Amino acid sequence: MGLEEKLPAGFVLTTLENVAGYMRKASIWPATFGLACCAIEMMAVGTPDYDIARFGMERFSATPRQADLMIVAGRVSQKMAPVVRQVYDQMANPKWVISMGVCASSGGMFNNYAIVQGVDHIVPVDIYLPGCPPRPEMLLNAIIELHKQIQGSKLGVNRVAAARAAEEAALGALPTSLMAPTHDHTAHLVAPAGKNLLA
Amino acid sequence: MADEQKSPGFFAELFAPIAGFGVTFSTMFRKVVTEEYPEEKRPTARRFHGRHQLNRHPDGLEKCVGCELCAWACPADAILVEGATNDDTPIEDGGAGRFSPGERYGRVYQINYLRCIFCGLCIEACPTRALTMTNFYELADNNRADLIFTKEQLLAPLQSGMVQPPHPMVEGLEERDYYLGAVTAATDAQRAHVEEQSMRHTQEPTEEVH
Amino acid sequence: MTTTPTQATDLVTLTIDGIEVSVPKGSLIIRAAEEAGIEIPRFCDHPSLDPVGACRQCLVEVWMPGPPGPDGTPSEARQMQGPPGRMKPQASCTMTVAPGMVVKTQVTSEAIDKAQQGVMELLLINHPLDCPVCDKGGECPLQNQAMSAGRETSRFEDSKRTYPKPVNISSQVLLDRERCVLCARCTRFSDQVAGDPFIALVERGALQQVGIYEEQPFESYFSGNTVQICPVGALTGAAYRFRSRPFDLVSTPSVCEHCASGCAQRTDHRRGTILRRMAQNDPEVNGEWNCDKGRWAFAYSSVGDRFEFPMVRENGELRVASWPEALRVAAAGLGHANASGVLVGGRVSAEDAYAYAKFARQVLGTNDIDFRARPHSAEEADFLAASVVGTGPQGGAVTYTDLGSASTVLLLGFEPEDESPIVFLRLRKAFRKNKTRVYAVSPVASRGLAKMGGQLIASAPGTEAEVIAAIKAGRGSKRVEEAAAALAEGGVILVGERLATVPGALSAAAALAEHTGARLAWVPRRAGERGALEAGAFPTLLPGGRLVTDASARAEVALAWDLAGLPDTPGRDCAGIVAALRSGELDGVVIGGVDPFDLGIGDADAVLGGAFVVSLEQRPSAATAYADVILPVATVAEKSGTFVDWEGRPRSFEAALTTTYVSDYRALDMLADEMGHFLGCRTQREVADEMTSLGAGTGPRPTAPNVPPAEPRQVADGHLVLATWRHLLDQGSMQDGEPFLAGTAPRATARVSATTAQTLGLADGDEVRVDLVTGACVVALVTISEMADHVIWLPTNSAGSDLRVALATEGGDHVFVTKDGDA
Repeated sequence: MGLEEKLPAGFVLTTLENVAGYMRKASIWPATFGLACCAIEMMAVGTPDYDIARFGMERFSATPRQADLMIVAGRVSQKMAPVVRQVYDQMANPKWVISMGVCASSGGMFNNYAIVQGVDHIVPVDIYLPGCPPRPEMLLNAIIELHKQIQGSKLGVNRVAAARAAEEAALGALPTSLMAPTHDHTAHLVAPAGKNLLA
Repeated sequence: MADEQKSPGFFAELFAPIAGFGVTFSTMFRKVVTEEYPEEKRPTARRFHGRHQLNRHPDGLEKCVGCELCAWACPADAILVEGATNDDTPIEDGGAGRFSPGERYGRVYQINYLRCIFCGLCIEACPTRALTMTNFYELADNNRADLIFTKEQLLAPLQSGMVQPPHPMVEGLEERDYYLGAVTAATDAQRAHVEEQSMRHTQEPTEEVH
Repeated sequence: MTTTPTQATDLVTLTIDGIEVSVPKGSLIIRAAEEAGIEIPRFCDHPSLDPVGACRQCLVEVWMPGPPGPDGTPSEARQMQGPPGRMKPQASCTMTVAPGMVVKTQVTSEAIDKAQQGVMELLLINHPLDCPVCDKGGECPLQNQAMSAGRETSRFEDSKRTYPKPVNISSQVLLDRERCVLCARCTRFSDQVAGDPFIALVERGALQQVGIYEEQPFESYFSGNTVQICPVGALTGAAYRFRSRPFDLVSTPSVCEHCASGCAQRTDHRRGTILRRMAQNDPEVNGEWNCDKGRWAFAYSSVGDRFEFPMVRENGELRVASWPEALRVAAAGLGHANASGVLVGGRVSAEDAYAYAKFARQVLGTNDIDFRARPHSAEEADFLAASVVGTGPQGGAVTYTDLGSASTVLLLGFEPEDESPIVFLRLRKAFRKNKTRVYAVSPVASRGLAKMGGQLIASAPGTEAEVIAAIKAGRGSKRVEEAAAALAEGGVILVGERLATVPGALSAAAALAEHTGARLAWVPRRAGERGALEAGAFPTLLPGGRLVTDASARAEVALAWDLAGLPDTPGRDCAGIVAALRSGELDGVVIGGVDPFDLGIGDADAVLGGAFVVSLEQRPSAATAYADVILPVATVAEKSGTFVDWEGRPRSFEAALTTTYVSDYRALDMLADEMGHFLGCRTQREVADEMTSLGAGTGPRPTAPNVPPAEPRQVADGHLVLATWRHLLDQGSMQDGEPFLAGTAPRATARVSATTAQTLGLADGDEVRVDLVTGACVVALVTISEMADHVIWLPTNSAGSDLRVALATEGGDHVFVTKDGDA
């Protein structure tokens, strides 16, 4: 798209990444997108007390075309799902998604047919934020986490390489059903691998 | 000259184009009235429902008995517990070790913070006060798996007087004595046991060298 | 002797809480209240156990009609009194109903409510508050009834009585004495139902507790039922201890896969792991009981050695392959083979067996298929075709209920406690309640026979045919004559699968049934055998009991299967297939759950090494070691299907776990597809529908075999004849992975008669060395008072006593016994 696409991996590209990340993270415009109770806390973040303007986010954009960040604040019903996706599609790149509250993140306590069990079924989520609803500080914390992510995001060939690596990792990952439910309590009591205790 | 307009001073003329920023600059040095969240954290209410914690007895044994009542109470089905039997067989004889007083302990303990609604019903359900809530709330993460907290993450850190389980109960005491407050700190025997186990652990790899 | 239907005159009418109910005479008040829809709290009461009135929780107020007045009508009902002027509550679980009785329960009587609360308070005094760590928590009658019939708050301030806990009653059953409410359900069960009174209430007063005999372990095949009926968490199973909570468990109705009893069970799983199995109430079959094997032997599927993926042999080594590849290799191998046979095994469901039967006929074009993975004979095949296949409860075959009401039961080559435990429980109940006489033609009087009040008609192995003939003739020893006379009055003959090893015995049994009019039933040991017989996984039978030699039956099946014709010569039986594989006449074989050792094959290499072997298996066995292709199949928890129990009663079950494993019928369907045939066995529904539409054959039944008894071989000097059967709990591969259950398995012992022991100079408890043709085993000697002489009994496949290969070898049934240590 831009200059970064043409640059080879190396010092110039990483510097550009740093600069772009610094600029981008400080100028995010969220889309106005309250779905349920979490929206009340999201609005509170916009009030002078919490003052989201401190992060360059004073403007909650009423149109997705001028927004970079979708804060999915509330449970996503099956009926709302296509709308969420459409709003996301209308946003211009680069764009990010915060899944605010447990309902948006996983369906929360609404484990039923009416609610999408996690908005990541419809849109890619960058930050998951627990809470029911999360207090404003928690949302601010999520935004700061997002800033860190944006600051570290890759461009150009690095971006392609990062995407490849992520896919490799995902393909190699154990299914959750096979993951150990806990770390082994007695692991420290067992001799390191390959050592024969009888020898 | 009567019609002579009072000319602005030199500095005034110099700064005239950016005079509008005066408010901005002067505000920069004023006391801030907004929440300064990341730098300065306003304390929550004392009973704020934050992240959970699995408590310990004063000698370091876990209070959780793996009874699953928290999981039962949870309206969002966010808690997974699996119990197991405490084992007083020495570990060198193949025993699994003792993690809590009494017969049973929670072998697996997970809370899915993307389901948990911080309602605190689990705390009410807990028969041993093993599960309580802290005021910690900075939980945002970038993937779902890491927001399932396992027992190691939820267990309270060891405080002074505590030693890391597995280790036996305080000698001569029963499970009920733990709840009657008879235990105040780990005893020498418990410390010796834990040290012996960790020595065994650290020595073994070096034995191979000899 | 059948029960007459309840006559109207047998009913007693009484009033409970203002509701008038009529119940059979002799009913207990608590049962009558259930009829009226009123639940009285109880702990000790259990419908299948004798009343005892131990817990006193079921108190009710009882009013009896007064004495008749001058005009003959009863006067006002009078309350049953205790101390002068005070109402005396009665235990409704021990008091039988009487005409005109008026009962007030906690629903209508405040005094009774208060009395029940008082009893509950006393029960809870010494009951610990450890519900959070108790396995029963969440499904505990004490918890529930403390909520419904107890006080809100406790007034008890002292410290409770405690005991060190838990106590191991057996390796599998644990006792927490402080939780016990002394209802005596477990001791009554052991004493009355199972007949293993190894636990009892000991001590007195507040110290009363359940205790065990120190010398004799609680070795019962039915100990798991005590855990299930314990109304508190006093008895728990070691395997399930602290593993889960009732609300975590997903329950699926299932049927036991371990024997032909067909017990209804419930399989509870959590997150894809089966945690426990419970007996389900099915009055027609298992009542409320099951055996420990059915309850606890389910871990074999999760010991970690399952075949998860298809495997093919490449350069002598098995390697994982994809399904398409494995099917391609299997299809090519079977396609290149000149002739192939099918060995089905006893673990399959009826649907699986049907698929094997159809696969053999349609795809392999042969009748060389047999489900019998055990000693068998051609006589047995004729016997099954003549007397067993196609019978069932609908057709008037012998049922559990018939056993319960029979006047005489004759056991031939069948040891119910070890080979079909629920039949044993039913026979013991019949003996206790109905005075049923049990006779067993067997070399040795087992403990199980004693518990059924049974009488032994001693017969050395190999002489059963003569003994049965003697019973038919009514001449012989006093007991033979008694049995003959009893059978003539009508009775039931139960034939075990072991009778097939004695030439002429099955013929004699059929003749005996014919002669006396007694009803005959065949009780196989394994769950899949009867279903496989019905499904036609048999060399001489097609599905539905149709004869292979019957042209019209063949045409009927061929039409249903959309084939031009079916092979018309009876196939080889299992031994024939093995012999043909050995000689090379067959060079391909499809093997289900068959362990070559069970067939007496010690040298599997000579049999399977030269042939192309396709194995449909769950876990490694001696057969899969020679398999060229292994297709992994589901265990019973992972598939749905039907077992047919020994009565001929279909017992369908659902899949408890959702996995990617396929059942045998699906694997065979895919294999047939690869070989260019459409088997139509893709789903359980499809197979079951086809089996139903095909139905039973209508052709004539063949006549029962008439094989003359063989001359018994002479016993060489100093040799003993080997008699054997399997213990219920032994080294079977389906009991793997459950160490607690294995701990309750009976130890291998050698049993000889007192006379024989004396002749050999041996005494009870001696360690003896038994020389088998395949080696020797050293076991403890037990002398049995009632036993045939010159016979030694050993378990077939217990630890330290594996006779499976020895028995199949020529002369393997004659052994030499010496005291261990002597040269």
